[in-house]
Amino acid sequence: MADTGDLDPFEDINQAVRDEWKAETTPYERVRAVISRTYTPTGVETLATDACTSPKTARKHLTALVDDGFVDTEPGAHGATLYYRSTESLVVEQAAAILSELSPEELRDRITDLREQVVDFQQTYGVESPEELTVERTNEVLDRSERERAIPDDETLREWQTTRRNLAFANAALSIANARKFVEPGAQSTDGTASPP
Amino acid sequence: MAGSQGEAHSLRGPSDRPTLLAIRDLFNSEEPLATAAVDDILNPDVVNVQYSDGLLAAEWSRIDVQWTTRDDYKYHYTDAADVNVRWGKHPHNGDYVHVPGLEHYHPPPDASSNPSDVEDSCINQRPETLATRAVIKLWRTAYHAQSLDPLNAGKNPP
Repeated sequence: MADTGDLDPFEDINQAVRDEWKAETTPYERVRAVISRTYTPTGVETLATDACTSPKTARKHLTALVDDGFVDTEPGAHGATLYYRSTESLVVEQAAAILSELSPEELRDRITDLREQVVDFQQTYGVESPEELTVERTNEVLDRSERERAIPDDETLREWQTTRRNLAFANAALSIANARKFVEPGAQSTDGTASPP
Repeated sequence: MAGSQGEAHSLRGPSDRPTLLAIRDLFNSEEPLATAAVDDILNPDVVNVQYSDGLLAAEWSRIDVQWTTRDDYKYHYTDAADVNVRWGKHPHNGDYVHVPGLEHYHPPPDASSNPSDVEDSCINQRPETLATRAVIKLWRTAYHAQSLDPLNAGKNPP
Protein backbone atom coordinates (compact mmCIF):
# COMPACT_ATOMS: atom_id res chain seq x y z
CA MET A 1 0.00 0.00 0.00
CA ALA A 2 1.36 3.41 -0.94
CA ASP A 3 2.30 5.35 2.15
CA THR A 4 3.24 8.98 1.82
CA GLY A 5 2.84 10.01 5.48
CA ASP A 6 5.99 10.56 7.53
CA LEU A 7 6.28 10.50 11.29
CA ASP A 8 8.73 12.21 13.63
CA PRO A 9 9.57 10.73 17.04
CA PHE A 10 7.69 12.26 19.99
CA GLU A 11 7.94 11.94 23.77
CA ASP A 12 4.38 12.94 24.63
CA ILE A 13 1.45 12.78 22.23
CA ASN A 14 -0.28 15.79 23.82
CA GLN A 15 2.77 18.03 23.49
CA ALA A 16 3.39 16.72 19.96
CA VAL A 17 -0.07 17.71 18.69
CA ARG A 18 0.09 21.07 20.47
CA ASP A 19 3.45 21.81 18.79
CA GLU A 20 2.06 20.72 15.42
CA TRP A 21 -1.05 22.94 15.75
CA LYS A 22 1.06 25.92 16.89
CA ALA A 23 3.36 25.53 13.90
CA GLU A 24 0.39 25.69 11.47
CA THR A 25 -1.63 28.54 13.00
CA THR A 26 -1.49 32.00 14.58
CA PRO A 27 -2.60 32.58 18.20
CA TYR A 28 -5.69 34.43 16.87
CA GLU A 29 -6.67 31.45 14.70
CA ARG A 30 -6.34 29.06 17.64
CA VAL A 31 -8.30 31.26 20.06
CA ARG A 32 -11.04 31.65 17.44
CA ALA A 33 -11.12 27.89 16.76
CA VAL A 34 -11.36 27.04 20.47
CA ILE A 35 -14.07 29.58 21.35
CA SER A 36 -16.04 28.80 18.17
CA ARG A 37 -17.05 25.46 19.73
CA THR A 38 -17.08 26.44 23.42
CA TYR A 39 -20.78 26.51 24.33
CA THR A 40 -20.37 26.54 28.13
CA PRO A 41 -19.17 29.84 29.69
CA THR A 42 -15.45 29.29 30.31
CA GLY A 43 -12.64 31.29 31.92
CA VAL A 44 -9.72 32.79 30.02
CA GLU A 45 -7.08 30.53 31.64
CA THR A 46 -8.77 27.36 30.36
CA LEU A 47 -9.33 28.85 26.92
CA ALA A 48 -5.69 30.00 26.75
CA THR A 49 -4.44 26.51 27.67
CA ASP A 50 -6.73 24.93 25.04
CA ALA A 51 -5.50 27.45 22.43
CA CYS A 52 -1.80 26.94 23.28
CA THR A 53 -1.27 30.61 24.13
CA SER A 54 -1.00 32.93 27.15
CA PRO A 55 -4.04 34.26 29.05
CA LYS A 56 -3.02 37.80 28.06
CA THR A 57 -3.01 36.96 24.33
CA ALA A 58 -6.22 34.94 24.64
CA ARG A 59 -8.02 37.82 26.41
CA LYS A 60 -6.94 40.31 23.71
CA HIS A 61 -8.35 38.14 20.90
CA LEU A 62 -11.49 37.19 22.87
CA THR A 63 -12.25 40.88 23.48
CA ALA A 64 -12.01 41.55 19.73
CA LEU A 65 -14.26 38.55 19.02
CA VAL A 66 -16.84 39.89 21.52
CA ASP A 67 -16.84 43.21 19.61
CA ASP A 68 -17.41 41.26 16.37
CA GLY A 69 -20.45 39.47 17.85
CA PHE A 70 -18.70 36.07 17.56
CA VAL A 71 -18.45 35.60 21.34
CA ASP A 72 -20.71 36.42 24.32
CA THR A 73 -19.69 36.89 27.94
CA GLU A 74 -21.13 36.50 31.40
CA PRO A 75 -19.69 37.40 34.80
CA GLY A 76 -17.93 34.61 36.71
CA ALA A 77 -16.73 34.40 40.32
CA HIS A 78 -14.41 37.08 41.81
CA GLY A 79 -14.95 39.57 38.98
CA ALA A 80 -13.76 37.16 36.26
CA THR A 81 -15.29 37.16 32.77
CA LEU A 82 -16.52 33.90 31.25
CA TYR A 83 -16.62 33.53 27.46
CA TYR A 84 -18.75 31.36 25.16
CA ARG A 85 -19.69 31.18 21.49
CA SER A 86 -22.51 33.58 20.58
CA THR A 87 -25.59 31.49 19.80
CA GLU A 88 -26.78 33.93 17.14
CA SER A 89 -23.39 33.82 15.46
CA LEU A 90 -23.38 30.00 15.54
CA VAL A 91 -26.89 29.75 14.06
CA VAL A 92 -26.07 32.13 11.20
CA GLU A 93 -22.77 30.31 10.52
CA GLN A 94 -24.46 26.89 10.40
CA ALA A 95 -27.33 28.22 8.28
CA ALA A 96 -24.86 29.60 5.71
CA ALA A 97 -22.87 26.34 5.75
CA ILE A 98 -26.05 24.32 5.17
CA LEU A 99 -27.05 26.54 2.22
CA SER A 100 -23.67 25.86 0.62
CA GLU A 101 -24.38 22.09 0.83
CA LEU A 102 -28.10 21.80 0.03
CA SER A 103 -30.46 23.53 -2.40
CA PRO A 104 -33.55 25.21 -0.88
CA GLU A 105 -35.69 22.42 -2.41
CA GLU A 106 -33.56 19.67 -0.83
CA LEU A 107 -33.60 21.61 2.43
CA ARG A 108 -37.43 21.82 2.46
CA ASP A 109 -37.68 18.04 2.02
CA ARG A 110 -35.16 17.34 4.78
CA ILE A 111 -36.89 19.77 7.16
CA THR A 112 -40.13 17.84 6.62
CA ASP A 113 -38.25 14.59 7.46
CA LEU A 114 -36.65 15.99 10.61
CA ARG A 115 -39.95 17.52 11.81
CA GLU A 116 -41.63 14.13 11.42
CA GLN A 117 -38.85 12.49 13.44
CA VAL A 118 -39.31 15.00 16.27
CA VAL A 119 -43.12 14.53 16.23
CA ASP A 120 -42.55 10.73 16.35
CA PHE A 121 -40.40 11.14 19.48
CA GLN A 122 -43.04 13.40 21.07
CA GLN A 123 -45.88 10.96 20.34
CA THR A 124 -43.93 7.85 21.36
CA TYR A 125 -42.86 9.27 24.71
CA GLY A 126 -45.86 11.55 25.37
CA VAL A 127 -43.87 14.72 26.13
CA GLU A 128 -42.89 17.79 24.12
CA SER A 129 -39.15 17.64 24.87
CA PRO A 130 -36.45 15.28 26.21
CA GLU A 131 -35.97 17.68 29.16
CA GLU A 132 -39.51 16.97 30.42
CA LEU A 133 -38.65 13.27 30.64
CA THR A 134 -35.49 14.00 32.61
CA VAL A 135 -37.40 16.21 35.05
CA GLU A 136 -40.11 13.59 35.50
CA ARG A 137 -37.53 10.88 36.16
CA THR A 138 -35.77 13.02 38.75
CA ASN A 139 -38.94 13.99 40.60
CA GLU A 140 -40.36 10.47 40.65
CA VAL A 141 -43.88 11.88 40.63
CA LEU A 142 -45.15 9.56 37.93
CA ASP A 143 -48.52 7.96 38.40
CA ARG A 144 -49.09 4.37 37.33
CA SER A 145 -50.20 5.14 33.76
CA GLU A 146 -47.18 7.38 33.23
CA ARG A 147 -44.80 4.79 34.65
CA GLU A 148 -46.07 2.29 32.10
CA ARG A 149 -45.38 4.71 29.28
CA ALA A 150 -42.40 4.02 27.00
CA ILE A 151 -39.11 5.37 28.41
CA PRO A 152 -36.36 6.08 25.89
CA ASP A 153 -32.78 4.98 26.57
CA ASP A 154 -30.03 7.60 26.78
CA GLU A 155 -28.98 7.14 23.14
CA THR A 156 -32.56 7.78 21.96
CA LEU A 157 -32.70 10.93 24.10
CA ARG A 158 -29.47 12.10 22.50
CA GLU A 159 -30.81 11.38 19.01
CA TRP A 160 -33.90 13.46 19.83
CA GLN A 161 -31.74 16.35 21.12
CA THR A 162 -29.46 16.14 18.08
CA THR A 163 -32.32 16.11 15.56
CA ARG A 164 -34.04 19.03 17.29
CA ARG A 165 -30.82 21.08 17.27
CA ASN A 166 -30.03 20.42 13.61
CA LEU A 167 -33.67 21.10 12.67
CA ALA A 168 -33.22 24.54 14.25
CA PHE A 169 -30.12 25.18 12.08
CA ALA A 170 -32.02 23.93 9.00
CA ASN A 171 -35.02 26.21 9.69
CA ALA A 172 -32.67 29.18 10.03
CA ALA A 173 -31.04 28.24 6.70
CA LEU A 174 -34.40 28.14 4.93
CA SER A 175 -35.41 31.50 6.42
CA ILE A 176 -32.19 33.05 5.11
CA ALA A 177 -32.73 31.50 1.66
CA ASN A 178 -36.27 32.96 1.58
CA ALA A 179 -35.09 36.37 2.78
CA ARG A 180 -32.37 36.47 0.11
CA LYS A 181 -35.01 36.33 -2.63
CA PHE A 182 -36.30 39.74 -1.61
CA VAL A 183 -33.28 41.44 -0.10
CA GLU A 184 -30.37 40.74 -2.47
CA PRO A 185 -29.52 43.27 -5.18
CA GLY A 186 -31.49 42.27 -8.27
CA ALA A 187 -34.25 40.73 -6.13
CA GLN A 188 -37.80 40.60 -7.53
CA SER A 189 -39.60 43.94 -7.24
CA THR A 190 -43.26 44.21 -6.19
CA ASP A 191 -44.61 44.06 -9.75
CA GLY A 192 -42.92 40.69 -10.27
CA THR A 193 -40.16 41.86 -12.61
CA ALA A 194 -36.49 41.82 -11.73
CA SER A 195 -35.30 45.18 -10.45
CA PRO A 196 -32.25 46.83 -12.03
CA PRO A 197 -28.85 45.94 -10.47
CA MET B 1 -23.86 -0.01 35.64
CA ALA B 2 -21.20 -1.08 33.15
CA GLY B 3 -20.93 -4.70 32.15
CA SER B 4 -18.24 -6.42 30.20
CA GLN B 5 -20.45 -6.37 27.10
CA GLY B 6 -20.78 -3.13 25.20
CA GLU B 7 -20.70 0.22 26.95
CA ALA B 8 -23.40 1.30 29.38
CA HIS B 9 -22.20 4.90 29.78
CA SER B 10 -23.67 7.60 27.58
CA LEU B 11 -22.23 10.68 26.01
CA ARG B 12 -23.71 13.94 27.35
CA GLY B 13 -25.55 16.31 25.03
CA PRO B 14 -26.50 16.30 21.36
CA SER B 15 -24.00 15.56 18.59
CA ASP B 16 -22.27 18.76 17.51
CA ARG B 17 -22.56 19.33 13.75
CA PRO B 18 -19.78 21.96 13.39
CA THR B 19 -17.32 19.83 15.37
CA LEU B 20 -18.09 16.67 13.40
CA LEU B 21 -17.50 18.55 10.12
CA ALA B 22 -14.22 19.96 11.44
CA ILE B 23 -13.09 16.45 12.42
CA ARG B 24 -14.05 15.15 8.96
CA ASP B 25 -12.00 17.89 7.28
CA LEU B 26 -8.98 17.28 9.53
CA PHE B 27 -8.80 13.54 8.75
CA ASN B 28 -9.11 14.31 5.03
CA SER B 29 -6.33 16.91 5.07
CA GLU B 30 -3.91 15.24 7.53
CA GLU B 31 -4.04 11.50 6.76
CA PRO B 32 -3.29 10.41 3.17
CA LEU B 33 -4.62 6.87 3.75
CA ALA B 34 -7.99 8.08 5.13
CA THR B 35 -11.25 9.23 3.53
CA ALA B 36 -13.71 10.75 6.00
CA ALA B 37 -17.44 11.48 5.61
CA VAL B 38 -20.39 12.24 7.90
CA ASP B 39 -23.39 9.87 7.92
CA ASP B 40 -25.81 12.75 7.16
CA ILE B 41 -24.67 16.21 6.06
CA LEU B 42 -27.65 17.99 7.68
CA ASN B 43 -28.16 15.89 10.83
CA PRO B 44 -24.85 14.09 11.42
CA ASP B 45 -24.23 11.73 14.34
CA VAL B 46 -20.92 10.14 13.33
CA VAL B 47 -17.84 10.71 11.15
CA ASN B 48 -16.85 7.50 9.33
CA VAL B 49 -13.13 7.51 8.54
CA GLN B 50 -12.25 4.76 6.07
CA TYR B 51 -8.54 3.82 5.87
CA SER B 52 -7.23 2.05 2.78
CA ASP B 53 -4.99 -0.05 5.04
CA GLY B 54 -5.23 -1.47 8.55
CA LEU B 55 -2.99 -2.10 11.54
CA LEU B 56 -0.97 -5.34 11.74
CA ALA B 57 -2.20 -7.67 8.96
CA ALA B 58 -5.64 -6.07 8.46
CA GLU B 59 -6.32 -5.03 4.85
CA TRP B 60 -8.51 -2.07 5.80
CA SER B 61 -9.60 -0.22 8.91
CA ARG B 62 -12.14 2.38 9.98
CA ILE B 63 -12.43 4.93 12.78
CA ASP B 64 -15.96 6.11 13.75
CA VAL B 65 -16.03 9.41 15.62
CA GLN B 66 -18.82 10.90 17.76
CA TRP B 67 -18.56 14.29 19.51
CA THR B 68 -21.14 16.20 21.54
CA THR B 69 -21.82 19.84 22.44
CA ARG B 70 -20.34 19.07 25.88
CA ASP B 71 -17.05 17.76 24.44
CA ASP B 72 -17.76 14.11 25.22
CA TYR B 73 -16.43 11.82 22.49
CA LYS B 74 -15.73 8.35 21.14
CA TYR B 75 -13.11 7.38 18.53
CA HIS B 76 -13.77 3.71 17.73
CA TYR B 77 -11.23 1.76 15.65
CA THR B 78 -12.26 -1.45 13.86
CA ASP B 79 -10.61 -3.40 11.03
CA ALA B 80 -10.77 -6.34 8.61
CA ALA B 81 -9.26 -8.64 11.26
CA ASP B 82 -12.04 -7.68 13.72
CA VAL B 83 -9.66 -5.88 16.07
CA ASN B 84 -11.42 -3.09 18.01
CA VAL B 85 -10.10 -0.32 20.27
CA ARG B 86 -11.74 2.91 21.45
CA TRP B 87 -10.61 6.22 22.94
CA GLY B 88 -13.48 7.81 24.90
CA LYS B 89 -14.32 10.79 27.07
CA HIS B 90 -17.51 10.72 29.12
CA PRO B 91 -18.62 10.15 32.73
CA HIS B 92 -18.28 6.53 33.94
CA ASN B 93 -19.48 6.86 37.58
CA GLY B 94 -16.07 5.68 38.79
CA ASP B 95 -16.70 2.26 37.21
CA TYR B 96 -13.36 2.34 35.38
CA VAL B 97 -11.11 1.81 38.38
CA HIS B 98 -7.89 2.75 36.56
CA VAL B 99 -9.33 5.99 35.12
CA PRO B 100 -9.19 9.07 37.40
CA GLY B 101 -10.75 11.49 34.88
CA LEU B 102 -13.15 11.25 31.95
CA GLU B 103 -10.65 10.30 29.21
CA HIS B 104 -10.14 6.55 28.85
CA TYR B 105 -9.07 3.79 26.47
CA HIS B 106 -10.82 0.52 25.70
CA PRO B 107 -7.95 -1.82 24.75
CA PRO B 108 -7.65 -4.36 21.93
CA PRO B 109 -8.53 -6.88 20.72
CA ASP B 110 -12.22 -6.21 21.52
CA ALA B 111 -12.29 -2.63 22.93
CA SER B 112 -13.16 -4.22 26.29
CA SER B 113 -15.56 -2.30 28.53
CA ASN B 114 -14.78 -4.52 31.50
CA PRO B 115 -14.16 -1.95 34.27
CA SER B 116 -10.78 -3.45 35.21
CA ASP B 117 -9.61 -3.59 31.57
CA VAL B 118 -10.35 0.04 30.68
CA GLU B 119 -7.18 2.17 30.88
CA ASP B 120 -6.49 5.85 31.45
CA SER B 121 -6.16 7.51 28.02
CA CYS B 122 -2.88 8.95 26.80
CA ILE B 123 -4.93 11.78 25.16
CA ASN B 124 -5.91 14.63 27.49
CA GLN B 125 -6.60 17.63 25.23
CA ARG B 126 -10.07 19.21 25.02
CA PRO B 127 -10.17 20.89 21.56
CA GLU B 128 -11.38 18.50 18.87
CA THR B 129 -8.50 19.48 16.61
CA LEU B 130 -5.97 18.28 19.23
CA ALA B 131 -7.81 15.05 20.14
CA THR B 132 -8.21 14.23 16.43
CA ARG B 133 -4.59 15.03 15.60
CA ALA B 134 -3.58 12.73 18.48
CA VAL B 135 -5.70 9.84 17.15
CA ILE B 136 -4.27 10.35 13.64
CA LYS B 137 -0.71 10.35 15.00
CA LEU B 138 -1.27 7.30 17.27
CA TRP B 139 -2.77 5.30 14.37
CA ARG B 140 0.25 6.20 12.24
CA THR B 141 2.72 5.31 15.00
CA ALA B 142 1.08 1.88 15.41
CA TYR B 143 1.02 1.47 11.61
CA HIS B 144 4.77 2.09 11.28
CA ALA B 145 5.61 -0.01 14.37
CA GLN B 146 3.40 -2.89 13.17
CA SER B 147 2.13 -3.14 16.74
CA LEU B 148 -1.00 -2.09 18.64
CA ASP B 149 1.04 -1.08 21.71
CA PRO B 150 1.65 2.55 20.60
CA LEU B 151 -2.12 3.26 20.44
CA ASN B 152 -2.20 4.21 24.12
CA ALA B 153 1.52 4.58 24.89
CA GLY B 154 1.45 8.25 23.89
CA LYS B 155 5.03 8.32 22.62
CA ASN B 156 7.10 7.37 19.60
CA PRO B 157 10.74 6.78 20.59
CA PRO B 158 13.41 7.47 17.96
